[in-house]
Amino acid sequence: MTTEVLAPSDPPAAPSSRRGGLPPLARYLLVRLALIIPMLWVLVTTVFVLMRVIGDPVTAANAGRLNAEQIAERKAAAGLDRPLLQQYWEYLSGLLHGDFGTTLTDNREISEILVKNGAATLELSIYALIVAFAVAIPLGRLAARKRDQLPDVVLRLLAILFYAAPVFFVGLLLKLAVSPFGWPTSGRASITTELALQDVKPKTNILLVDAILWGDPAYVWDVLQHAVLPAVALGLLTGGVFLRLIRVNLIQTLRADYVTAARARGVKERRVVNKHAFRNALVPVVTVMGLQIAMLLGGAVLTETTFEWDGLGLQLADYLVRRDFLAVQGIVTLIALIVCVFSFLIDVVVALVDPRVRF
Amino acid sequence: MRLPVPRVVRDSHGLQRFMLVLGLVIVAAFVLVAIFAPWIAPYDFNADRDAGGVFGTQQAPSAAHWFGTNVGGTDVFSRVVYGARTAVEVIVVAVILSSLIGVPLGLVSGYLGGPLDRALLLVMDALYAFPSLLLAIVVSIVVSGGSSGALGGILAAAISITVVFVPQYYRVIRNATVAVKVEPYVDAARVTGVRTPRILSRHVLANVAQTLPVIATLNASEAILTLAGLGFLGFGIEPSSAAEWGYDLNKALSDASNGIWWTGLFPGLAIVLVVLGVTLVGESLNDVMNPLLRTRGGEASDTAVEPELAQAVEPTATTADTERRVAALSLSGLSVSFRTDGAPVRAVDRVSYEVAPGEVLAVVGESGSGKSVSSRAVMGLLPATATAEGSAVLTRDGEQTELIGLSDSALRPIRGDQVSMVFQEPSTALDPVHTVGAQLVEGIRAHRDVSQKEARARAVELLEMVGLPDPARRVDYYPHQLSGGQKQRVVIAMAIACDPDVIIADEPTTALDVTVQAAILELLLSLRDRLGTAIVLITHNMGVVADVADRVVVMYRGQVVEQAPVHELFAAPQHPYTRRLLDAVPHLGAEDGPGEVDASADVVLEVENLVVEFPGRLGEPAFRAVDDVSLTIRRGEVLALVGESGSGKSTVGRTTVGLQQPTSGLVRVSGTTVSGLSDRQLRPMRERFGFVFQDPAASLNPRLSIGQTLAEPLHVHRDLPAAEVQQRVRTLLEDVELPAAFAARYPHELSGGQRQRVSLARAIALDPDLLIADEPTSALDVSVQARVLELFVELQQRRGFACLFITHDLAVVDRLANRVAVMQQGRLVEVGPRAQVLGAPAEDYTRRLVAAVPVPDPVEQQRRRAENAALLVEEA
Repeated sequence: MTTEVLAPSDPPAAPSSRRGGLPPLARYLLVRLALIIPMLWVLVTTVFVLMRVIGDPVTAANAGRLNAEQIAERKAAAGLDRPLLQQYWEYLSGLLHGDFGTTLTDNREISEILVKNGAATLELSIYALIVAFAVAIPLGRLAARKRDQLPDVVLRLLAILFYAAPVFFVGLLLKLAVSPFGWPTSGRASITTELALQDVKPKTNILLVDAILWGDPAYVWDVLQHAVLPAVALGLLTGGVFLRLIRVNLIQTLRADYVTAARARGVKERRVVNKHAFRNALVPVVTVMGLQIAMLLGGAVLTETTFEWDGLGLQLADYLVRRDFLAVQGIVTLIALIVCVFSFLIDVVVALVDPRVRF
Repeated sequence: MRLPVPRVVRDSHGLQRFMLVLGLVIVAAFVLVAIFAPWIAPYDFNADRDAGGVFGTQQAPSAAHWFGTNVGGTDVFSRVVYGARTAVEVIVVAVILSSLIGVPLGLVSGYLGGPLDRALLLVMDALYAFPSLLLAIVVSIVVSGGSSGALGGILAAAISITVVFVPQYYRVIRNATVAVKVEPYVDAARVTGVRTPRILSRHVLANVAQTLPVIATLNASEAILTLAGLGFLGFGIEPSSAAEWGYDLNKALSDASNGIWWTGLFPGLAIVLVVLGVTLVGESLNDVMNPLLRTRGGEASDTAVEPELAQAVEPTATTADTERRVAALSLSGLSVSFRTDGAPVRAVDRVSYEVAPGEVLAVVGESGSGKSVSSRAVMGLLPATATAEGSAVLTRDGEQTELIGLSDSALRPIRGDQVSMVFQEPSTALDPVHTVGAQLVEGIRAHRDVSQKEARARAVELLEMVGLPDPARRVDYYPHQLSGGQKQRVVIAMAIACDPDVIIADEPTTALDVTVQAAILELLLSLRDRLGTAIVLITHNMGVVADVADRVVVMYRGQVVEQAPVHELFAAPQHPYTRRLLDAVPHLGAEDGPGEVDASADVVLEVENLVVEFPGRLGEPAFRAVDDVSLTIRRGEVLALVGESGSGKSTVGRTTVGLQQPTSGLVRVSGTTVSGLSDRQLRPMRERFGFVFQDPAASLNPRLSIGQTLAEPLHVHRDLPAAEVQQRVRTLLEDVELPAAFAARYPHELSGGQRQRVSLARAIALDPDLLIADEPTSALDVSVQARVLELFVELQQRRGFACLFITHDLAVVDRLANRVAVMQQGRLVEVGPRAQVLGAPAEDYTRRLVAAVPVPDPVEQQRRRAENAALLVEEA
């Protein structure tokens, strides 16, 4: 996040570039990168503390099934009987080595969950983003240009509706609508396809890519069919938010002086909107979209549960139900890491869009 | 009976009002359902049987069960109704809890700043970046631990949601606080010695709080969705203790594939409707309250029509022209009006003037006179709320084009090609995300069929023509890499790119320093000579008019009141408004300001070797704003501190009153050292100094009445009974020549000049030894400025306080200062008696500064221009 620098009453007149040793872009990216570390630390610590407040994971997961002795034995085995600070320290140093821990109930490596189910979540997010952009960019521009006229009002209501409809409700409606036609309503692919794609090499776990690598159009079609409903459900939710963002920012840049100046130069209206208004509106839009990644991931948990899409969110929900808090801790940490990595990537995109950051 | 209509509804209009009212109706309906749930619902939310027996599971809608029954065999309608109750309870608790925690945290963190702020910001940002639903789930597991009763369940859910929303409240309030705390009215309160808690509540919170309803409603809708999400995933309220829509949807999920639609549809629709209603309210509130999104009206004048001038508007006193060339642009009977919520505002009223090739026509007037609007009408660049009528004819090679009423597509080939424009603020007129070269090329290629390469070569040529150093390299610069003067050169290069017949320059030098202004004007003149362009120069600066104009059009309240060649206008103004305008303009070198004060007078302010540094950003050295400055001011003396933007003059002023801590050096007021003191230690000394800020609109708290503003210093430093405070306020208003009834008014009900009088009254309320005035008149129109300055001089002489008068305007200095100090890049260049510094400056920089000021007298200015040409070579 940006921290505001309080403007002294007499700001330096000259642009402050080229005063330090590093070029501005490198400094900008380094600062952003450096900011991730404390942020990640805050998140990891919060998760660790919260997960320990509940009680110890072994008791939580096995309450009623094991006697006190067995629980104590398992706690010792998992290292949970040692002082909390020591556990915290080991957890942190494990993270530094890429070790997110193992689940309690089925003894899986968390990092394996990342590879397998993370890919599924990534795939879903990409589809959803495609739907979101396809909806939001043209409609947002239309709404801004027809501000306060009928198309704007209709689109704003639509955007609010997209946002107001919980993704699981939209999912339910979609299921109701398509199930009479035999369109698949859950899972990432049919069982046959999944089994066939088990052996594809190299296996990316992104099913569409795997299906294409395998080379059978029937499988590709099957995978795409399964992706439509979840992509639309999550995409509309995200698209509604993007639409509003684009509209508001475009309205503001459309009245900027440089837009008037471009018109005064005789530049064609289409170009004025594309090159000047829209391009400038993108800067805040991209920044805020960075923050929406969290929303997308949160939405993915619900979407995945709705459509039994075997991603990180579905796994998380599963382990939550099983009260496997070591798994929950690991997956939540993983999600925190993903959020941080993506917000850094967004910062890079901002730098590409906005030359004031680069120079 | 008439229902009381909330103010926001009255402030809204059209479709916005429709959305707001629709939202309010939906929300009200749900609140009613929630309150009367037991009476509305036919069954209890968990009942699966009544006297008539078991309902049966998944029964389709019928007379007994309007919405059917669900998989658990309970009545869907009853569950939806009770669900409204759960939702409303959770939202109310969550919104109250999160604002109770988030708002104070944001206020304190934003206002105090420092390490606490940074740490809180980091934690809150981290929480904010994290998927809110996951956070809510984790917290709900922690909070609920075991299950509890209905209230416990609702409280637990509300707490989980609160944790998610605290960061949002915190961020909004903190950012608003950070923005508000640098507002001059907060500084004004600090200078007065108001304590921090009082500043936070009276000045900061009051102004920040207006965003609260917006965040609260927008968060409420998110809260409903989060609650439903929690319920859907099975981490919400214990199903036995309350009905919850999200939980019901989860149970209905498997029904959907079997064609059972009623179990999911109704709870889902309920969620959508509530969220829709609450969001509509929030968005409309935001629209109504956010000035940025408001439809922009015309330039409205805030001064009342003065009867003598209104009546005296006589037929245009045009002097007969002996020989006139064919006008390049001629306006006749041009009127522009703006649609507003009330009656249409006529900003320009039957304006006629013309400009010939090679001529500079100055259009002068104060703010709101319609001078800019009329020129924008010519270009067809008015907002959609404006309508123009009358005529504006462009003549090229004997061919005439009527511009008013042309469609955008017919105007486009003319804009930039035949008529072009130079804007006031070069930093906003250039698109920040494209290089200046790209923007030049774009303009050229809009009108000429040339290749990218040729256009670029032309761009370099143009940049060279406008005197931008190293044009071949700078053509690839982004606007922010250029200085203000360089940017304005680029804007001018764009204007001349296609050899236009007419250039409309709208206040082209107002945003620039005086030395840069001189160079830009020089450039405009030389281009006119070389290209023979007609120039319409819109300005409020009579010095600039005298410097470059051939003819002058004077506008007042939308009308042209006088039109004359420049020499005639200055020598023998016809219209009373013109005469008054010219009288009001301070004239450098022709003012008889005060001499030096007696050397035996007490020293009030002593500044010794003052250094102020601002820490640089990571990896950058600190910025030295003030570098070894020493000054003294005696009782009854006015010391003018002058310099261009960034010279550090304001920082000196802020440091003397403790708004800024010095890095090193000493500040003594009346013999007491004030530098290095904490706010608390400084407080008792605050009554010895007053401060007048530049922008009168920003230095008065919009939420306090004038009476409250003036009473504040009295409350802080004097323990007076209320009646006496009122008496003092009346006297103060009298001192600044305002009616006593103004005590009950709010700042927005006053004009700019009146506000600055109030500012002045506040500064002298405690009879200070020292008054710091930071550009007190630069935001005012010249006639208003003259009256405020007069008042200031009179008060200063009557009360005899010492004054540090910070300004960039040397002509104003000439009118009121005893001595003058000149600053450049943080250093003091020259200090001395007024007559000496302005009349016979010892330093080069001062000489350049004095030479660059255009004086409002065309004859004298022509002489000065010739004499000073060599001095005014602008540094790149």
